[in-house]
Amino acid sequence: MDEKIHQDLEDFSAEQLLESFIKEIQKEEVVFLIGICVALALVILTVVFFGNFWSSSKARNAVLLLGLCDSGKTLLFTRLLLGKFARTQTSITESSATYKSKNDRGSSWTLIDVPGHESLRVSILEKYKAVARAVVFVVDSSVFQKDVRDVAEFLYSILTDGTVAKNSPALVVACNKQDISMAKSAKLIQQQLEKELNTLRLTRSAALSSQDGSVGGSVYLGKRGKDFEFSQLPGRVEFIECSARGSKAEDGDIAGIDALEKSLARL
Amino acid sequence: MLDFFAIFSKGGIVLWCFQGAGVSESFTGPVNALIRSVILQERTGNNSFNHNALNLKYKLDNEFELVFVVGFQKILTLTYVDKFIDDVQLHFRDRYKNELEQRGALKFLLNNFEFGEDFHNLLREAEDRSKAKGPVPMKNFKESQKSQKTVKSMIETKDGDKSKEQGGKKSKNAKKEGVSGGDQTKAASQTVSKKTVENGSDGLTAEEIIERNRAKFISKQLGGGKPDKTTSKSPKPQKPKGKANRVWDMGGRNTGELDYSGSNGNNYSDAQTQDHDASAEPLIQVDSMKGDLRGVDYESSDDDDEDEDEEVEEERVVVPDTNKKGAKKGGFGGMFGMLKGLVGSKNLTQDDMEPVLDKMRDHLIAKNVAAEISSQLCESVAKKLEGKVMGTFTTVASTVKQALQDSLVQILQPKRRVDILRDVLDARAQRKPFVITFCGVNGVGKSTNLAKISYWLIENGFSVLIAACDTFRAGAVEQLRTHQRRLNALHPPEKHAGRPAVQLFEKGYGKDAAGIAMEAIAFARNQGFEVVLIDTAGRMQDNAPLMTALAKLIAVNTPDLVLFVGEALVGNEAVDQLVKFNQALADHSKTDKPRLIDGIVLTKFDTIDDKVGAAISMTYITGQPIVFVGTGQTYSDLRSLNARAVVSALMKA
Repeated sequence: MDEKIHQDLEDFSAEQLLESFIKEIQKEEVVFLIGICVALALVILTVVFFGNFWSSSKARNAVLLLGLCDSGKTLLFTRLLLGKFARTQTSITESSATYKSKNDRGSSWTLIDVPGHESLRVSILEKYKAVARAVVFVVDSSVFQKDVRDVAEFLYSILTDGTVAKNSPALVVACNKQDISMAKSAKLIQQQLEKELNTLRLTRSAALSSQDGSVGGSVYLGKRGKDFEFSQLPGRVEFIECSARGSKAEDGDIAGIDALEKSLARL
Repeated sequence: MLDFFAIFSKGGIVLWCFQGAGVSESFTGPVNALIRSVILQERTGNNSFNHNALNLKYKLDNEFELVFVVGFQKILTLTYVDKFIDDVQLHFRDRYKNELEQRGALKFLLNNFEFGEDFHNLLREAEDRSKAKGPVPMKNFKESQKSQKTVKSMIETKDGDKSKEQGGKKSKNAKKEGVSGGDQTKAASQTVSKKTVENGSDGLTAEEIIERNRAKFISKQLGGGKPDKTTSKSPKPQKPKGKANRVWDMGGRNTGELDYSGSNGNNYSDAQTQDHDASAEPLIQVDSMKGDLRGVDYESSDDDDEDEDEEVEEERVVVPDTNKKGAKKGGFGGMFGMLKGLVGSKNLTQDDMEPVLDKMRDHLIAKNVAAEISSQLCESVAKKLEGKVMGTFTTVASTVKQALQDSLVQILQPKRRVDILRDVLDARAQRKPFVITFCGVNGVGKSTNLAKISYWLIENGFSVLIAACDTFRAGAVEQLRTHQRRLNALHPPEKHAGRPAVQLFEKGYGKDAAGIAMEAIAFARNQGFEVVLIDTAGRMQDNAPLMTALAKLIAVNTPDLVLFVGEALVGNEAVDQLVKFNQALADHSKTDKPRLIDGIVLTKFDTIDDKVGAAISMTYITGQPIVFVGTGQTYSDLRSLNARAVVSALMKA
């Protein structure tokens, strides 16, 4: 009998506990309850997004398409992603999409097309330079002789940027528009850029030798005392030729970007 | 009748385009010109643009990041185009809403936006609508708005006449009470015309007019006059009695100090003492200005600037993450859905942004940005943000501020390469001198900054020739000669391959400036100088003969760089100066590609604290970069512009 009483008591107390708990909750004001729920939600939210932020800052998985205006970045972006042709205009904002590379591992990263216009490129580059794993610098090979100084200056500003120099992402210089007959070869472009960057080194960073590097915090490219060569850079540098438009007419599907794709696959 | 119509994303991919019959050339060129000159230069307030023979109208859709552009021949005045673009935009959005709401840039590429039929339908409707409205007949007086107005609203009175006005009204009402309805002749002289006009107004009989006027009069008497009427006149200020003696600081105490004749007079013959002074100058550090110029900075060191950049970057990375989180949370269950609704994503409308933009405009004007530039900038930001979807946890004010900050940085970024040293090296390789001309109004610091720039060039190993083309101002040539002497003392010829680092080319006063400049350039070419700096006289932008003379100097000598020197203290004047200078240079040049201002030197930057708005006004008006910033009166006070620092000073509360 005592056991039975005990059992009854236990049942009774468990149920009663639950009931009394529910009653307690119901007794509290609704506002208080909502407050607690909102607080809980916020805590969960912060924990989750901090976790995401922390993990994403570790992975640098973006490939940036940089270059002067009208060098063919947006078309290259379309070709790499979908292989088809699209008419393009000057970009005003950046576009980003996931790219599956054609290697055995099937890794994928974010391909970001940065507008080439002078007033936009700096601020957008600031946003993405920390997560850049590789930089594809697109050069218009047909008008390269005329624009060599502008190309070199842009390349110089990218390479001497503090964050970029620290991370040293792989640099692929894509000499685009090879389908035009006047296009220069990759070798020639490499030589000209090396000469130009050599001169820029002198004019831009001569101040470094007199004041101990406190001017702008910029980096000295390559080795002092020797002429600048791309092989002196810490990251991997490749010069390849490609043609985003392809040898056929506008709507042609064949484009000469195989070399570029192979190079990207090796990242 | 349209030449073309294009719909493309802001990322650059053309979604759909239409080319009118018989139009052979592609529209890529004009549209690119539109993008560069309007959208990227923050002139989106005005939505039409002329390019050669085409008139381009455009519309931005900020929610889905699209741009709609239509182009037609300038000679055709098509009235239906504005409304047509709006219709097309709405139609396109509705039809492709699902596709456009996907995330990522691939949505533009994967989907096929077939819009041809709808477009032609809309076009036909618009054309029919415009044809249906024939020429509008002229309204007669009864239909016009003027007949609806009361006489009172059309009277323009100054404040002092109010009392007279009251009196006049009173007499008019008194007269009206005695006069029957249709009698128009018995009226005060002042009120005759008013009465006839009033009686001519539609639908109101004279009695109703009388009632209305009486009511107005009574309410005016009761409602009380304006507060400033009660205080009749300000009390006369108390005049001080008698005359107090003026007290001078150095009043007759020590005249020996005021005698400057001994030490510094007769500079011509005191070359040696000059040189000693210069070399003993403790403040000038030779070799401190090698290489590129440092940027103007507001933080105490560049480390602070870098930290700020990193923080800003982190913020930017954080916000997109919270966006993602917010969207995810919205998917789970009702309670979190309610959360999303609370902070949720809404579109920005003009009304939302209006108060914030007004405040921003006043803030910019308070920071010395020219008034019309501030309003154009705010309009442009409004156009860019209209319809945009705000992220979670962001307020309207913060979005607008961020957008304004971005557009200010965009304006200050140079549109072309600014590297004087590189260009001078090029000119050296071609064995011709690099010619820089300085122009500007009186007293902005042309000669001082010319001396600073020649100091910088000498530090970097170039030989400089200064051409004294200011043949008007007293002492201009002597001033440059003094600078030349000091610079040569600081950089003795032994260190510069045996020749003096800087030399002055002058022909005295009263001669033609353009001729002196031409001779100076020829002299430099013969003697192998690498840079020629031409100093011109200051002139007001309104002074037509002087502007013609300046334009002639520039057109004849075709310098490599035409720098406009402007002081940072200038306010709304900057707009006027630059516009008129450019106008004069364009008008008086004989070629069809006139040499305009290529760059700006912003001087006296140390005198403004954070009221740096002049930089924005000048770059916005000309579209040219600020090449040098002068921050003081010694030789080393020369900097390059740091866009971020200037914008942060501008946006600081």
